[in-house]
Amino acid sequence: MRYALATAVGRLVRLAARLRKAGGGSAIPGFVVNRIAPGYLKHALESFPQGLVIVSGSSGKSTTTKMLVAMLRAHGVAVFTNPSTANIRQGLTSSLLDAADWRGRVPGEIAVLEMDEGHGALIMRDIDARVVCLTNVMVDQIDRFHDSEMVTGMLRRLAARATEAVVINADDASLARLATDVTVAIDRYGASAAVFAASPRGLGYEQTVTTRMTTTEGIVVASTQGTVAELLDDGTLRSITLPAEGAHYAIDAAAAYATARRLLGNRFEPTTSTEALSAMPPVFGRGERVFVRGQEVDLVLVQNPASFQLNVDSVAGARDILCAMGSDVRDPSYLWPVDLSGLGRVSIVSGSKSAEAALMLAYSGVVVDRVEPDLAHALEEFLAPATPGEVVAEQVVADTTAAGDVAVTTVGHTIVSTAAAVCPAAATGAVKTIIFTADAMRRTRAHLGLTEAE
Amino acid sequence: MTLTIVTLAPSLLNTNGDSENARVLARRAEWAGLEASVIPVESAADLPARVDAVIVGSGNDSSLERAREVLLGVQSNLRAWATEGVPILAVGTGWELLSWGIEFVDAAPVEGLGILPGRAVPHDGRITGDLVVSHSTFGVLVGFENHAREYCGAEGSPLGRVRTGHGNGRGSGQEGVVMGAVYGTHLHGPVLAKNPTFADHLLGLMCERSAVPYRPGERTRQADGYAADARAVLLGPR
Repeated sequence: MRYALATAVGRLVRLAARLRKAGGGSAIPGFVVNRIAPGYLKHALESFPQGLVIVSGSSGKSTTTKMLVAMLRAHGVAVFTNPSTANIRQGLTSSLLDAADWRGRVPGEIAVLEMDEGHGALIMRDIDARVVCLTNVMVDQIDRFHDSEMVTGMLRRLAARATEAVVINADDASLARLATDVTVAIDRYGASAAVFAASPRGLGYEQTVTTRMTTTEGIVVASTQGTVAELLDDGTLRSITLPAEGAHYAIDAAAAYATARRLLGNRFEPTTSTEALSAMPPVFGRGERVFVRGQEVDLVLVQNPASFQLNVDSVAGARDILCAMGSDVRDPSYLWPVDLSGLGRVSIVSGSKSAEAALMLAYSGVVVDRVEPDLAHALEEFLAPATPGEVVAEQVVADTTAAGDVAVTTVGHTIVSTAAAVCPAAATGAVKTIIFTADAMRRTRAHLGLTEAE
Repeated sequence: MTLTIVTLAPSLLNTNGDSENARVLARRAEWAGLEASVIPVESAADLPARVDAVIVGSGNDSSLERAREVLLGVQSNLRAWATEGVPILAVGTGWELLSWGIEFVDAAPVEGLGILPGRAVPHDGRITGDLVVSHSTFGVLVGFENHAREYCGAEGSPLGRVRTGHGNGRGSGQEGVVMGAVYGTHLHGPVLAKNPTFADHLLGLMCERSAVPYRPGERTRQADGYAADARAVLLGPR
């Protein structure tokens, strides 16, 4: 009953926020409730009968959280989880309020929360978790954290909240250092030597352990072949289908598998778990495919250099690309080590940091057709269907010379029918691709009327 | 003839993309119709026969000792290059390692390579933000600073005067240090891409030593247009 009033106020605030702006103001109820009932978050998070599970780290936490939730639900466990966009204090409180009954109680036997690596330590300052699962430490939003060691420090504080176990990536040297302070049980997961060797650019961790873990130490990703991977669990190979190609998805799956095994104990069913993992909907790169303005469009979110590189490698080839960088990237310096040359050509560069993005692309040898800082204009132009008979674009023929430079010739290109489209990519039926940073993603979604991805 | 730009210990000293300044020099050389290559040097064995420019980037303090070991392996080369006038750009911790040394609050000082005058001294709290510097011939230099220490002993030959930001600190109002063609700066990331006058000065020195002409190409002008727009966001309209 203690939080009935706060819950009611939170509901009213949410209603008011939604009346004012459809779909808007999702963090405001959380803000208000945190002010009038500061103990609510702790109370709600510690009231789940099977406890609270935290998933955090630089990269892969959303995927790992979704995989873990799917596995637990397949075992018949009622799970409360947060959308990945609500992983800081206000948003988290708001998402709890959304699910809460009138007394403020949130249904579910267990809570599995994705937590922002920067805010997690502060949110969890006085809250205990049963299990904390840590994915990795990457050079990530350097302009926000200034130093990856700061991220390690924050994850160390988060790990200290675990009362039963910490599940860590055995290949990540930053996490290995942090593990020496852990006083509860440690469960490990990681890549086999073969999987590691097959990732020519490495796995992207800020620091990597030099030796791979043995199969007796935890869950090992034994192999990946396209979207099929094998997890080695206590001497038994378990085949799974990944939501998309990429060793990082297999490692996310191993993290989720190891955490589910810890949480369920004797109730853990390997087959139920691998089936739940394999049934997850496919995703494209680190992104998704949407249907908008009568066409399929791939949306790719840039979160850090490692995922940016993976995305560039998967997008590479003939595609029609819009690249948007927003004000969330204060200083894009840390993205410069990414090899963008695989993009070849970008039709439009947009966003409040469009000049910075164009500069980065130019020095990667990527041809930039146009810079349009106004994202709304850029989106309208990019998604407009080609009109027959109109000269809609200048086709750029790029050819890579031995020196690595790109020689450019420009050819006027007339569209004779809508089938023969604007660019080489569209002519081959490839979907348009929007690569954006978090802020540009929010603006793009709002402009196109797309709902937030969970 | 190929212009060869080396990056020192890029696996440790490229946290903020500082080593990518080598790519900026190489691209601008190529756009000017010259041949250029970038050679990553992780140990003395990787050194090419001829070096036309050197980039030393910034890293984390946890890898400071390892980075120092790599630099010590090429210390005599660095001295020779500095004396001969080979342009050297050192950023952040890379610069600190080329100085007399680095001091800490709670640990013994780390001796530097002594290529640049001055030393890095502790500061309470990390210094981060936009950094704008006036230079006598390059004009206004813009970038971002992200460092844990201040720098003293550069008062006699700083890179420039701080207009916005912290720079070397300790009340100096100055940023960076210059010794011949050796530059130390807190301006991290692709400072040469954002500051074409600085880049072309270094390229000019490289070409002069190799007796080849340098004239910026068409794509250089396009890239510099993006740089001007990026600078305008920080400095106001052109």
